[in-house]
Amino acid sequence: MSGRTAITLIAWREMRERLRSKAFLASTILILALVGGSAVLAHMVDQQDTYRVAVTAPAPPGLAAALQRAAEPFDDADVRLQVVPSFAAGRDALEAEQVDALLLLSDDRLVFRSNVDAKAAAVADAAVRALRRQLPPAPELTTETLRPPEQESTDAAVLVAYAGSLLLLMSLAFYGQWVISGVVEEKNNRVVELILSSVRPRYLLAGKVIGIGLLGFAQLTLIAGLAAGMLAAGVFDAPAELAGDMALVIPWFTLGFALYAVAYAAAGALASSQQNAETAGQPVTYTLLGVYFAGYVALSANAEGPLATLLTVFPLSAPLVLPARSALVGVPLWEHALALVLVLVSIYGLVRFAGRIYGQGLLRSGAGLGLRAAWRLTR
Amino acid sequence: MLAIDDIHKRFGEVQALDGYSLSVARGRMLGFLGPNGAGKTTVMRAIFGLVELDSGEVLWDGRPINVGERLRFGYMPEERGLYPRMRVGEQLEYFGRLHGLEATAARAAALLWLERLGLAERAAAKVEELSHGNQQRAQLAAALVHAPELLVLDEPFAGLDPVAIHTLADVLRGEAARGAAVLFSSHQLELVEDICEEVAIIDHGRLLATGDVDALKRASEQRRIELQLDGAPPEWLPGVPGVELVERRDGKLRLDLSRDVDPELVLAAAEKSAHVVAFSYGPPTLAELFLELVTP
Repeated sequence: MSGRTAITLIAWREMRERLRSKAFLASTILILALVGGSAVLAHMVDQQDTYRVAVTAPAPPGLAAALQRAAEPFDDADVRLQVVPSFAAGRDALEAEQVDALLLLSDDRLVFRSNVDAKAAAVADAAVRALRRQLPPAPELTTETLRPPEQESTDAAVLVAYAGSLLLLMSLAFYGQWVISGVVEEKNNRVVELILSSVRPRYLLAGKVIGIGLLGFAQLTLIAGLAAGMLAAGVFDAPAELAGDMALVIPWFTLGFALYAVAYAAAGALASSQQNAETAGQPVTYTLLGVYFAGYVALSANAEGPLATLLTVFPLSAPLVLPARSALVGVPLWEHALALVLVLVSIYGLVRFAGRIYGQGLLRSGAGLGLRAAWRLTR
Repeated sequence: MLAIDDIHKRFGEVQALDGYSLSVARGRMLGFLGPNGAGKTTVMRAIFGLVELDSGEVLWDGRPINVGERLRFGYMPEERGLYPRMRVGEQLEYFGRLHGLEATAARAAALLWLERLGLAERAAAKVEELSHGNQQRAQLAAALVHAPELLVLDEPFAGLDPVAIHTLADVLRGEAARGAAVLFSSHQLELVEDICEEVAIIDHGRLLATGDVDALKRASEQRRIELQLDGAPPEWLPGVPGVELVERRDGKLRLDLSRDVDPELVLAAAEKSAHVVAFSYGPPTLAELFLELVTP
């Protein structure tokens, strides 16, 4: 029998046995409901939008009413109009964040602080068109900002970044736990003797990781896919480009899982019979948590700093940090490429290493095996 | 044919296998005997590549065994283990497929063995829901499901009730008759004597005896006499040099003697003092032979 047949059989068994568990189906439905529910929540929060617009005196009659009417299609947003004596006074109010936009009717300009708010601009434009409806051609407001747009991330980008990396952390730890508990169970109840009497250890390792990985991939694709789809469709008040960053979670889960699941499997194979899956997997779980928090701190401090860049390409942290950093500030193509190459090389090395110690560890019951002892046995 | 050729294995201070050779031909059944710690399990695991030998070889049809050949072997490990939460029928089918059977053939073979071993109605039960005896049957079925050419069973009779022992003995005879080479270890020596033509006796990693059971027994220096007397004095002994009393109960005596002592002398002495109801003379039983060989 070819290795592929053995791996397929083993992977298929892993998937079938787990798909039958009600916990798996329940957790999938629950998470999907949470993602869907967050859209409803975002919608409710959205309704409280208020646009504060300043206009230089004298304000034309009916402007406030026209603005309010123009805002109606935008979830009944509230528009507060404030009349300022001069452009300088308006600019001060804008700088002091007392208003969100300054309307200069004399030269049809709409001025924002640093980022143009597309909705506020559309409301102001529609209102001015309505007021001047007799005067063709309808004027269009040009938008501008006091300062060049800042590279600072929007709230939505921060949310996508942290939700994305948290989702990755949780799924890597969750499916990694499945892998290690499967390995420890096989080892402790000795069914592994029967399997390894006919199957090479590395096929067992591969089948297990691939089977559980495919399930995780399917579940995560559903969840991240739904979130990305909702972002792209504009369900959230967020730029549609973020959908791409959300979707980036999916390939990086695959890479991260390949890396961490193999490490979990090796840890399970080396466990002693007294250890349960949780304690045996601690070194891997702590590594995962460590890089997650390092990434969190680095990105919060300075998403474009050297530490954040390093963690973006470092193979152990790349799966968690790269998608988050991409949502926050964008990641240059060369960093994507470097991270990909480094993580693939690491997966190859780890699979080679784990493949060698896996069989030795599994067949050694009782005291468990240290990494070094296991490596020596394979010489 | 399975051939084990001058195998050595040391675990730390313990020489588990100290260089011996033996073979099992297709269609033959070899009982593998030895006290606990003699190295039986190590040999069996070595056949499946689960132990790396220090030196020596395990050959199948004259060639070193690789993964492809092991697919045609069946194994019942000493430490039993199946997936506890997997259904029995599906589990057998899975092991059949891991040994290279197509899906439909694996399903049919799983059903056949469940039927033969009396587990048919439990096919949909999880292994953990089965009784100990039924788990043992399921374990046996997992070794048999792919109709192996070599069957290696480590203590298959341990913990079975008499009915199950009878069934298993039948199954093993059937497998040998089908043409499989069968190697199994056991401490139930009467049973082994009953169903095996050949045995191998090992201790401390060394082979003490191997071959045809009857020939081994005949080759022994020991002989045994069973004698039933009517009207003999309570402390009666034959008084023949070289004859030892092993057991006396209800007028029945068991005597051990060396091969060169003439049994007629014992019979003549008995007839002088009592009425002889029964007299038998022959080589030792397998159990006696075993004790003779392994006790220093």
